[in-house]
Amino acid sequence: MMKRAAPFLACIGLLVIWQLASLALKNDSFPTAVEAIRAIPSILGDKDALVNFGASIRRMTIGFGVAVAVSIPLGLLMGRSRTVASFFNPLLMVIYPVPKAALMPIIMLWLGVGDLSKTLVIFLGVSLPVIYHSFEGAKAVEEKMLWSGAAMGLSAAQRMLRIVLPAALPEILTGCRTGLVLALITMITSEMIARQSGAGNILFNALDMGQYDTVFAMIIIIGAMGIGLDGLFERMRARLVHWSEPQFDIPLSFS
Amino acid sequence: MNARGFTSDLLLGLIPIALLVAVWQALVSFGYAPVTLLPPPGQVFWRMLHQISSVTFQEEIAATLFRLFAGFSIAVILGVTVGLAAAVNPAINAVVRPIVRVLAPLPKVALYPALLLLVGFGHESKILLVTFDALFPILLSTYYGASTVEQKLIWSAMAAGTPPREVLFKVVLPAAAPSILTGCRIGLVISCIVVFLAEMITSTDGLGHVLVTAARTFQAVDMFVPLITISLLGLILNGLLELLRSYLLRGFPEV
Repeated sequence: MMKRAAPFLACIGLLVIWQLASLALKNDSFPTAVEAIRAIPSILGDKDALVNFGASIRRMTIGFGVAVAVSIPLGLLMGRSRTVASFFNPLLMVIYPVPKAALMPIIMLWLGVGDLSKTLVIFLGVSLPVIYHSFEGAKAVEEKMLWSGAAMGLSAAQRMLRIVLPAALPEILTGCRTGLVLALITMITSEMIARQSGAGNILFNALDMGQYDTVFAMIIIIGAMGIGLDGLFERMRARLVHWSEPQFDIPLSFS
Repeated sequence: MNARGFTSDLLLGLIPIALLVAVWQALVSFGYAPVTLLPPPGQVFWRMLHQISSVTFQEEIAATLFRLFAGFSIAVILGVTVGLAAAVNPAINAVVRPIVRVLAPLPKVALYPALLLLVGFGHESKILLVTFDALFPILLSTYYGASTVEQKLIWSAMAAGTPPREVLFKVVLPAAAPSILTGCRIGLVISCIVVFLAEMITSTDGLGHVLVTAARTFQAVDMFVPLITISLLGLILNGLLELLRSYLLRGFPEV
């Protein structure tokens, strides 16, 4: 019971700190938490805004889905074959530190400001951590299990599907979780750069027009979206890989 | 790995990068993409050399690096301290865990408008954003590393007469080091990405600003230069971290 309530208590605590801070600062551009929360219903009640949110979520789902579908097989292959790994590794190392949303201005020139370029940017942002973690996961699979599988007559493809994939799954899901957060980040930033539709568009337009309560209300909404998605993902993960959960709840003992 | 295997791996890894450049060149030379949208790689390369030797561009790089390092170092110090404290002390753990659960999946870029309004358009808001983004991977992996330290190691140290405070620094911290460094690596890549994005949103200097100015004036060549620069910076920093890692973890079994 207590464990379930703790994140909610943390949310309330953060909001209270915000409220107190804004009351203490008395700054025009820093509305109190209550004011920001009051602005939420008017945003969510607006039909335009809902269309924007829908567009954001659609792009994110497509980008994330395609990225995961492509990256997991690639990562697993890289983990099991040294040739594949050394073929792709340098390229990925070069691409990794490039902010994917920063590619937006260039991609926009070719593909326009529409859905395609934003989805592509989200795809790029999600795929790298997923590839990296699948790679690490597949590399750490115990060799003996693969030998046993081969001895029992599994083909290479079957071994991949029935031994490597499940064994690497916890690590893969860690990558997907990082990817999920990155998908949100790239979604917001790509919409900020190509102001045409989406949640990021509402947020940064409000900032430019000085509607500060809308800015903060949007921050709450986007934050809630992130926390909600992460919670859903965590639930799915707990189902899939409950066998590998680390026992975090026992603190180290010094006695 | 022997020297010959290493060189052949390196050559194999250069193939996709070379292919990418070749496709890029082919697109331009066969006229599929107009030069104004996609400048040939040679032109970008010369522009890059020219820019790197110019003082103004070096100042932009310095501004970006300063923000990156400031934010990243704060994140490392905070993340390692809080992570260790939470792993060791149940009371701190009970407070930190729910807060981290709420804040970690939040897309921090959405907080950037709030930071702008609160601390202004200078260095501070960008450094804070980098800190926020790099903090959680470091904190989580420190916590993970420290809470999976073998309990027997601690008991042995205690039995040998080490006071609890020293156990923390002589046993727990070194044993958690591999995990902490992995977190730092993820944090570093994220810092590179975020500092660039923050500079793209609002800034008067830095690499992100160079990109935005180029995009607004449709100077396609100048748009590629900062992107390649940040990719190179990321590679160099990653390499330095790798060196630090192999120095700090000397004597560890295969990490």
